[in-house]
Amino acid sequence: MAQTALNPKVSLPVSDWKKWLGVFPFFLFAILFLVLPSLRLVIGSFTNNEGQFTFANLLQLFQEKSILDAYWLSIRISAATAIGGGIFGFLLAYSVTVGGLPKPLRSALITFSGVASNFAGVPLAFAFIATLGRTGFVTALIKNLFGVNLYQQTDFDLYSFWGLSLTYMYFQFPLMVLIMAPALDGLKQEWREAAENLGASTTQYWLRVAFPVLLPSILGSMILLFGNAFGAYATAYALTGGRLGIITIQIGAQIRGDVLHNPGLGYAMAMGMVVVMAISLMGYSWLQKRSERWLR
Amino acid sequence: MRTKNFAYYLIALFVIAATLLSACGGAAATEAPAAATEAPAMTEAPVAATEAPAVDPMADLIAAAQAEGMLSTIALPHDWCNYGEAIETFKAKYGLEVNELNPDAGSGDEVEAIKANKDNTGPQAPDVIDVGFAFGDSSKAEGLIQPYKVATWDSIPDDAKDAEGYWYGDYYGVLSFLVNTDVQPDVPQDWADLLDPKYNGQVALSGDPRTSNQAIQTVFASALANGGSLDDAQAGLDFFAEMNTAGNLVPLIANNGLVATGETAVRITWDYNALAAVDSFEGNPKAEVVVPATGRFAGVYVQAISAYAPHPNAAKLWMEFLYSDEGQTIWMKGYCHPIREADMRERGVIPADLLAKLPDVSGAVFPTLDQLNAAKELIVANWDSTVGADVQAAP
Amino acid sequence: MSLLARIRRIPFWSWIWFILGALYFLLPLYATVNFSLRMERDVIGFKAYIRAFEDPEFLETFLYSNILALLTIIASIILIVPTAYWIRLRLPEARRIVEFITLLPFVVPAIILVFGLIRIYSSPIKIPFTDIRLLQPLTTFEVGTDILIVAGYVVLGLPYMYRSVDTGMRTVDVRTLTEAAQSLGASWFTIITRVILPNIRAALLSGALLTFAIVVGEVTLASFLGVPAFGPYLFLLGQHRAYEPAALSFASFLMTWLAMGLIQLFTGGQGQAAGTH
Repeated sequence: MAQTALNPKVSLPVSDWKKWLGVFPFFLFAILFLVLPSLRLVIGSFTNNEGQFTFANLLQLFQEKSILDAYWLSIRISAATAIGGGIFGFLLAYSVTVGGLPKPLRSALITFSGVASNFAGVPLAFAFIATLGRTGFVTALIKNLFGVNLYQQTDFDLYSFWGLSLTYMYFQFPLMVLIMAPALDGLKQEWREAAENLGASTTQYWLRVAFPVLLPSILGSMILLFGNAFGAYATAYALTGGRLGIITIQIGAQIRGDVLHNPGLGYAMAMGMVVVMAISLMGYSWLQKRSERWLR
Repeated sequence: MRTKNFAYYLIALFVIAATLLSACGGAAATEAPAAATEAPAMTEAPVAATEAPAVDPMADLIAAAQAEGMLSTIALPHDWCNYGEAIETFKAKYGLEVNELNPDAGSGDEVEAIKANKDNTGPQAPDVIDVGFAFGDSSKAEGLIQPYKVATWDSIPDDAKDAEGYWYGDYYGVLSFLVNTDVQPDVPQDWADLLDPKYNGQVALSGDPRTSNQAIQTVFASALANGGSLDDAQAGLDFFAEMNTAGNLVPLIANNGLVATGETAVRITWDYNALAAVDSFEGNPKAEVVVPATGRFAGVYVQAISAYAPHPNAAKLWMEFLYSDEGQTIWMKGYCHPIREADMRERGVIPADLLAKLPDVSGAVFPTLDQLNAAKELIVANWDSTVGADVQAAP
Repeated sequence: MSLLARIRRIPFWSWIWFILGALYFLLPLYATVNFSLRMERDVIGFKAYIRAFEDPEFLETFLYSNILALLTIIASIILIVPTAYWIRLRLPEARRIVEFITLLPFVVPAIILVFGLIRIYSSPIKIPFTDIRLLQPLTTFEVGTDILIVAGYVVLGLPYMYRSVDTGMRTVDVRTLTEAAQSLGASWFTIITRVILPNIRAALLSGALLTFAIVVGEVTLASFLGVPAFGPYLFLLGQHRAYEPAALSFASFLMTWLAMGLIQLFTGGQGQAAGTH
C-alpha cells in the first residue's frame, strides 16, 4: 500500500499541479534571487550602446570568428579538466574510502578538498607560477637535479592551454573528491563479498557491479566539473594575462575593464554560455537516463 | 499544523541569526562620529586662487556633510596614490564614516555601480568615482555625474577638467619601468633597451592590452619612442610585436609579487605604482624605477560626484579635501603628481623632501581625449593580430 | 603474520594515488609559503604574517564571513534537501529544470548578479499595483543587506550543494527509507529531519564544506554590497604589495582548513565503508 502511494506512475488521489507545490519554495527562491537579477543578461543582449532594441549583438556571436573560437576554447578546457579531474579525483576518492587508507587521511583529504575547491584566481596562479614558472622552484629543482631547462629545452610552458588545465585541476580534483567520496561509501561490502563468492575477479566486480552503480554519480560530478571550469575567469586571467581568450574573459572585456566597450555584446555572449550549459545538461540527462536503467 | 509551527520557528531562527550577524558586522563597520565640528581649518594657508573660499560656505558644507554622516567611495586601493592616508585623514578630520566599496573595481565597474544604484539610498551606492580620463565625458553624456567646482577650481589646468565642472583631473603619472635589480642588475634606460636579448622573458605589462587602461597606454607610450606620435599608435603595436618575437615579452599580467619572485623582472607601470612598490619591498628585492628617457607618457585620472549620490554634501566635502593643498600633498606622498602641482610649486607649498623624491618627468606628453580614443581603438582591435599572442593549439 | 602477508595487505595503488595527489596539492602551497617567509632579505621570517595579523580587522572580518557561511549553509540545506527529496520521490519530471537552474550560477557572472540584486532590492517591497509599503528597501538597512548577501551566497553555492545532496540521496535508498518510515506513521517533517538527513550526512558535509569555502573567499558580492567580509578586506590589505598577499592567502587557507576540521568534528560525517576492496 505504501508502495503504490510512492510510485508516481500510478494515478494518485492528489492532482498533478499540487505535486509541483513541493518544489515551489525552490522556484520562488530561484526567481527572486537568481532569475530576476539576471534578467539584465537577457534584456541587455538585445540592446545596443544607445539603448535601442537590436539583434546585432546576437548576430555578432555567430559572425565573429574570435567569439566562436572563444566558445570552443572554453568548451575544450572545461571538457579536458572535467575528464582529467574526474578520473584522478575519482582515484583519490577511491583511495581514502574503498581503497583502505587510514581514516585520518580521509579526514585530511576531505577537509583539504573543501578549502582547495575554492582556491582560485590570483593566489592560485601565483602559487603555480612560483612552482612551475620560469623562476619557479620546481623548474629550478629539475634543472639542478636532471640538468634539463624546462623552458628552453622542452615544449613545456605554464602559460598555455595545458598549463592552464594543470592549474585548473587544483580546484577540479577536490570537487570530484567531495562529491564522489559519499557515493563510494555507498558501495556495500556485501556486494563485493557476494561477487567474490560467485567467482568474480576484481576487474569483473568493478566493471559489472561497482561502476554501473556509480556511473550516475560520476556523470553528475563531471557535469559539475564542466560547469565549474566553464564559468571560471580569474585564474585564467591571472595566469595567461587574457592571452588565452576563453569566453569568460571575452565577456569580462566587454562588461568590465577600464575601456569602453559594448556591454550588449557581453550579455549576448553570456546568453550563449547559458545555451552551451543547457546543451551539456541535455547530453548529461540522456546519459543519466541510460545509466539509471541499469539500476532498476 | 506541525509544518506551520516549523515554518515560524525557522523564520524566527533566521531573523535572530541575521540580527546577530548585523551586530557582529556593525561593530566592525561603525565609527563613532567625532563630537566637535572642526572649524574651517580645511583649506590651508593663503590660497592664491581668485575665488577665495569664504569661511561660511565651508562651515555650512561641513555641517551638512556631518549630518549625512557617511561617504561611499569605490575602487580606491590604499596603496594607490596613498589613498589610505587620504581616507584616514578625512575620517579623522571630519568624523565621517567612509564606506569603501570594491577596491578592485575598474573604471567600467564604477560607472556600472552608479547605474545599478540609481534608486538606492543605502551604503552600496558610490558617492564619488575616480576613473580613467575617457570616462569623464562618457559619464557626463550618460547623465551619471553632477557638476561641482571646488574652491581651488581655477588652479586646475584647463585641459584637465570639464568646463562645466562635471569632472576634473585629480592626478597623473608617467609610465615607467620597475626593475628587480637582484634578478636583472642591468637597468633599461629607454624603450628601445627593452628589445635587448638580455631581457629575454623578463618584460611584462600591468594589464591586458585589450581591456586595461594602463596596458593600452603602455602600448601607446611605446609608440612615441618608436617613431610614432600621439596621433598614430601603430608604432607601439609594432614595437611590442618585435618584443614578442624576440621572446622578451612575458604573457603575464605583472604584479608586485611576480616582480619580487623575478618572474616579471621588468614591469611597465605608472611611476607612482612603481615607486610605492619599491617602498613596499623594503630592500627585498632591490629594485629601481626608471622613467624612460624618451617616450614619456602621462596618464590622467579624473574625479566626479555621482548624480545619484546618497550623500552629496559628504561627496563635495571629500572633493574640497582632495583639492586642497593638504589633499594634494597626500597624493604626492604616494608619488602621484597632483593636478595642481604647477600651482603649488609656484607658491612653494610643497615640502622639499617630497619634491626630492619625485622623479624627473619633464617632457611628458598629455594626450587629448580624441587621441586616447583613437589609439585605444587601434590597439584593442589589432593587438591579437599584430603582436600575435597565439592561442596554444590543443589536440 | 608474516612480513610478506603484511606487505600484501597494504593498499598499494591507493597509496600511489594519494601520494601523487599530495605532491600535486602541496608543492604549489609550499611555493607560496616559501615566498611569504622571505620578506626580509636573506632571512626566513614571519614578517609578512605579522604585518597581516597586526590589523584587528583581520579577525573581525574573518569571523563575520564565518557566520555568513554558516547561515548560508543552513539556508541552503533547508532549501535544497526537501526539494531534492521531493524530486526524487514524487516529481522526476522537474529534475531537468531544477538541475538547469542549479547550473545557472556558473554562467551568470557574479558582478551581474550583484548589480541585479542591488537594482531590484533597492526599491521598497510593495504590494503589487498599490503604494502600500511592506518593507523598506533591503539595501538600506543592515539586516536587509545581510539577507541579500546570504541569498546571493546560497545562489552561488547552489550547484555544489544540490549536486552533493542529490548524490547523497542517490546513494542511500530514499524510497525504501521513506516507505519504512511512513509505515511506522511518520510525518513528512519527521521523515526528512530524522530519517533522511542523518543518512546523507557525509554528502551534506561535502556540500557544507564547498559552500563554506565559497563564502569565506568571496569578494565581488561582498564588496559591492558593502558588507565587512573577509574577501574584500584581504584585497584591501595588500593586493599591490609583494609578500603580504602570499602570506594572507596561505594564512586564510590554513584558517579555513581549521574551520572545516571543526565542522567535520561537529557533524561527525564519516563514511560507512572503510574496508579494503
